[in-house]
Amino acid sequence: MSINHWADEPLDDDEDSFVRPYTITHGRTVSAHEELTLITIIVALTPPEEQFGTRGLEPEHRLILERCRRPVALAEIAAGLNLPVAVTKILISDLITLGTVAARPPLAVAVGQKPDIRLLQAVRDGLRRL
Amino acid sequence: MGYDDSDRRDWSAGGPTPAAVKFLIAGGFGVGKTTMVGAVSEVEPLRTEEYLTVVSVGVDDVDGVGEKDTTTVAMDFGRITVSPELVVYLFGTPGQERFWFMWDDLVLGALGAVVIADTRRLQTSFGSIDFFENRGIPFVVGVNCFDGFQDRTIPEVREALDLDPHVPVLMGDFRQRSVSRDVLLALVEYLMDGHEPASRPS
Repeated sequence: MSINHWADEPLDDDEDSFVRPYTITHGRTVSAHEELTLITIIVALTPPEEQFGTRGLEPEHRLILERCRRPVALAEIAAGLNLPVAVTKILISDLITLGTVAARPPLAVAVGQKPDIRLLQAVRDGLRRL
Repeated sequence: MGYDDSDRRDWSAGGPTPAAVKFLIAGGFGVGKTTMVGAVSEVEPLRTEEYLTVVSVGVDDVDGVGEKDTTTVAMDFGRITVSPELVVYLFGTPGQERFWFMWDDLVLGALGAVVIADTRRLQTSFGSIDFFENRGIPFVVGVNCFDGFQDRTIPEVREALDLDPHVPVLMGDFRQRSVSRDVLLALVEYLMDGHEPASRPS
């Protein structure tokens, strides 16, 4: 197993992110909820202070709960916590299993099919307002 | 669980959970992908990393078992909140398109793509164009002209990239929000026209 690294620009190697990423997941490398994507929207179901039964969670789990008080994409959580997407998916998967967050999958866009015209109109109107 | 749905909804003050779609911004190294993302995003471009597991078939692969390599790819992305119900994400794809085929998450929820081209090295756009054509993902081509410098015409670019005639090609300085926005608008209007994804005769 070798690690290659490529990107358009050098990555920021923040000192505080220098933790072997899968340590946080106790060595798990696969998410129980395989349907999670970069733009799956995550939202906490209860305020963090009311979440019981969350003992045993890693600090990162709690940081995720803080970040998804309002709906936010999985990729934004990963970027905000400076965690790889794969690790973030495993942690969010834990929270889904615990029932503390809900996940909304991206709108299904079938390849070769025309997307819903109302969706496209909404996107167009949004872009025109920029 | 001790609460009903209305309690949850009251608490998550953001209202309904929005639906998400995304556009992919592709093209070769340093061609201006993050520039375009940053020009239209409501937040500074964010960066995230993904691990891809790829099976490499080495030349010294005598036992027939491909070695598994983990490759890290980095993506810059941005966000446009269209409404409380809809958020559009823009993902700048990493170079090295040969890995994209093993990366289903890249295309999930993707409405379409912008392939950014640099007229001085158009060949760096070939991989992205092939990928989107093969996957049936509609795309437009944006030619990034810093400070309005144009050394090729749109027909020349179209010819060099062997594009189907209906694929929109736009030129401009993508640092300007209005220019980048217009490229995305051209993509959305192209999608609304309902052109079938290009299939290139080989």
